[in-house]
Amino acid sequence: MSAGLSGVGLASELAAIVGGAHVVDDAAACAHYAIQGVAPELVAAPGSEEEVAALLRLAADHGLAVVPAGGFTRQAIGDPPARADLLLDLARLTATEHYDPGDLTIGVEAGTRLADLQARLAQHQQFLPVDPANAARTTIGGLLATAAQGPLEHGYGGLRDFCIGIRFVTAEGKRGKGGGRVVKNVAGYDLMKLLIGSFGTLGVITSASFKLFHLPPVTRTYVAEFAAPEEAIAFRDRLLRSPLTPMCLEIANPRAAEYLGLAAGPWRLLVRAAGSEAVLGRYRAELGQAVPRELEGEAEARLWQGFSAFEETILAGHHNAMLFAVHVPIAEVAPALAAAERAALDYNFLCAAIGRAGVGSLLVAFLPIAVDPPAAMQYANAASEFRSRLPEEQASAVVLHCPREAKPHFNLWGTSPTDLEAMRAVKSALDPENLLNRGRFLVG
Amino acid sequence: MSFAALVRQLKSILGDDAVLHRREDLLLYEYDAGFSRGLPGAVLFPRTTQHVVEIMKLANRAGVSVVPRGAGTGLSGGAISRDGGLILAFSRMNRILEIDLPNQRALVQPGVVNLELTRAVEREGYYFAPDPSSQKACTIGGNVAENSGGPHTLAYGVTVNHVTGLEVVLPDGRIVNLGGKAAHAAGYDLTGFFVGSEGTLGIATAITVKLTRLPESAATLLGIYNTIDDAANTVVAITAAGITPAALEMLDGWTLRVVEEAAHAGYPLDSGAVLLIEVEGLREAVEEEAAAIERVCLQQKAREVRRAKNAAERELLWKGRKNAFASLGRLSPSYYTQDGVVPRTKIPQTLRFVDEVGKKYGLRIGNIFHAGDGNLHPCILFDSRDKQQTARTLAAGRDILEYCISLGGTLTGEHGVGMEKSNFMPMLFSEENMEVMQALRQAFNPRGLLNPMKLLPTTRGCRELRTPLMPRVVA
Repeated sequence: MSAGLSGVGLASELAAIVGGAHVVDDAAACAHYAIQGVAPELVAAPGSEEEVAALLRLAADHGLAVVPAGGFTRQAIGDPPARADLLLDLARLTATEHYDPGDLTIGVEAGTRLADLQARLAQHQQFLPVDPANAARTTIGGLLATAAQGPLEHGYGGLRDFCIGIRFVTAEGKRGKGGGRVVKNVAGYDLMKLLIGSFGTLGVITSASFKLFHLPPVTRTYVAEFAAPEEAIAFRDRLLRSPLTPMCLEIANPRAAEYLGLAAGPWRLLVRAAGSEAVLGRYRAELGQAVPRELEGEAEARLWQGFSAFEETILAGHHNAMLFAVHVPIAEVAPALAAAERAALDYNFLCAAIGRAGVGSLLVAFLPIAVDPPAAMQYANAASEFRSRLPEEQASAVVLHCPREAKPHFNLWGTSPTDLEAMRAVKSALDPENLLNRGRFLVG
Repeated sequence: MSFAALVRQLKSILGDDAVLHRREDLLLYEYDAGFSRGLPGAVLFPRTTQHVVEIMKLANRAGVSVVPRGAGTGLSGGAISRDGGLILAFSRMNRILEIDLPNQRALVQPGVVNLELTRAVEREGYYFAPDPSSQKACTIGGNVAENSGGPHTLAYGVTVNHVTGLEVVLPDGRIVNLGGKAAHAAGYDLTGFFVGSEGTLGIATAITVKLTRLPESAATLLGIYNTIDDAANTVVAITAAGITPAALEMLDGWTLRVVEEAAHAGYPLDSGAVLLIEVEGLREAVEEEAAAIERVCLQQKAREVRRAKNAAERELLWKGRKNAFASLGRLSPSYYTQDGVVPRTKIPQTLRFVDEVGKKYGLRIGNIFHAGDGNLHPCILFDSRDKQQTARTLAAGRDILEYCISLGGTLTGEHGVGMEKSNFMPMLFSEENMEVMQALRQAFNPRGLLNPMKLLPTTRGCRELRTPLMPRVVA
């Protein structure tokens, strides 16, 4: 970082754009915005897309490394910023761009909190079918940037399936958009796909539009229990071949139970369905003997909140846990879970895992055994062991969390089935000076 | 390198029978199913990814453009060469490479016909969900390039929602993999970004698609209306009732009469509009939704609601819809189909506007479209031999698209921008915004040799719009 950066000059230039009340330049106050121990030199909170663009142009002119931030719920992912000259606090961008319930679409600015959005949609019996951890603090921009998902992905698809438009500003301050406000649109490149999961490295997301869904009036959750994972997977396979189309199909290994508020014991598959009594009766009939328990109402809602909050609950109990987001083909779910158990055990961890058994997206936690806190290298070795046991060129295992001391010892993002050089080409097309979230992501 | 020398080299790589370069052989590749034309310099038929690599390297060295082409069923000129370059026709790369039911995936070459993939897996209870009306002919490679949709897009999404992996050859001949069989991959979602890029970033040589479980039950309803307004209001009311049908199509009265005469689908000749509505899924759910839809239709002044009693009746109702454009073709030497989209609640007013546009320009415009997602297909009938009428047709099309955009809609819902609408892009995107898109294109296609003059405006800095290039018009 250049000397004198936090000097009066730059702060007043920022203030000229966003107003003095929305600039933070004293070190103590900036420390509150620290990301993985790296405090930004300056913080600016823009109130509009124009201001975001002006700030980024200014940053580009001065060669400042920029870190975008929303609700600070997923800033622990990835490496610490190599530099954080200017943090953009997007919390003021909360306007609604359009919402007509009859269109089943909404457009909101990036700082809008997910829970606020859901509360508003619920008044019209609608919702955005995404249920990640910490919805109260999660912002729409952060949700998209980190591609945060939850159990509803099974029945409704992922953010890439229902984000229909996105607006963003590039590192050079250019305002871009992809898609629009309508549910079907192939005009121009699909920049939604590019920005979703880009972790703030390609542009600063300023707003997005979504396709909405009707809130199911009645749901039920069927809890199936199994002594062995093979039985759970066989049951899943029968369900995937059946005519049933559940909202959620979640697997939980025995160790995950205590973090979900469930009794210790078996492997579980949780099937959540929506519909009339006749439809739910059909589920009961098709699922048959394997389902000893049905949940509804409060108990059901609590269970699914537990799944959404899995990451938080794990970290509340084990601040030094290592958490992975694992993506594998569907038939590799069981082998991936076995690989996780095995690698964890080899390096003195215990393994708690949940995930979308019908999608192939898992959350895997390596929990240190309390008496013997692992050394930094142990995390690196355990991750490497786990990844080596996953199918080559078909799997991803991204570390969502591990102790900061361990991070320099390994690649948190692992390998990807997607060509790395092509990713770098995209990064340098949109952020040639590598100013956005430098050093934090797989590329850049 | 001269073009003739290039052709000789291509022949030595691909074989004599895989290179067309005589003018009479090329004429067939001058057009697609839409409005635009352009004569290529040669048409090549690669059989392997390696062939594509060799062609790309040669073309790159010679500085000649390359345009990928599937079945040529596109409507926006995406598969046409604008500058006499090479067309890569994928009719010989048409193998299904792998069917992987445990992973609910298939790996296909780009030339596989959309419906053939479904035929290959339906006995096992699966299908490929994107269903463009041309699905008997169009290829999955073309679907990927255009991000094609179809009537059932409403419930199942467009092509991009069903593609998880791609093998792509870049202009420099490098083969890259994007994604795979898993639903997500670490890093940027380049698979999603590539789908719908209209052949401007690279050439897909292998495609991993999702296979979807066939529903156990479906109900197909025909709502019959005296006025088009009532039908349009029903679309809004079905959404408001919390029902998402698998498909929700509309035909206006004039169009349905034309279709009925040609296809005998059973549409009542004296009605003002019909809605073709389908619900799919679990038997119990289908019965409830079908009953609910019937109630809504009747509340919205449907004269009658018919339900297909069996598969044959269902097929007949769909036959009318899927062959609608062909039926219109019997009436007029040429037709021009627009593909604008509006928010669902704006359908009634948009249809009234389309009607006014027809009157203003003295043109007959039929409406057959994906009402459920607001994707209009106003079909303007005209005689392309009549220059004045052609000009009025283009002006009418543009008026309609401008109106769609003014309501928060878009230029194209599923047909693509191609060459037909590339100069309309500034209606939707700022100069800066297109610079961002251009930068991304250059990252993959630095010399602009892949499908040039498509998707983005051909005139840089064109705030002033021009009529798209259309040397001749296809009947």
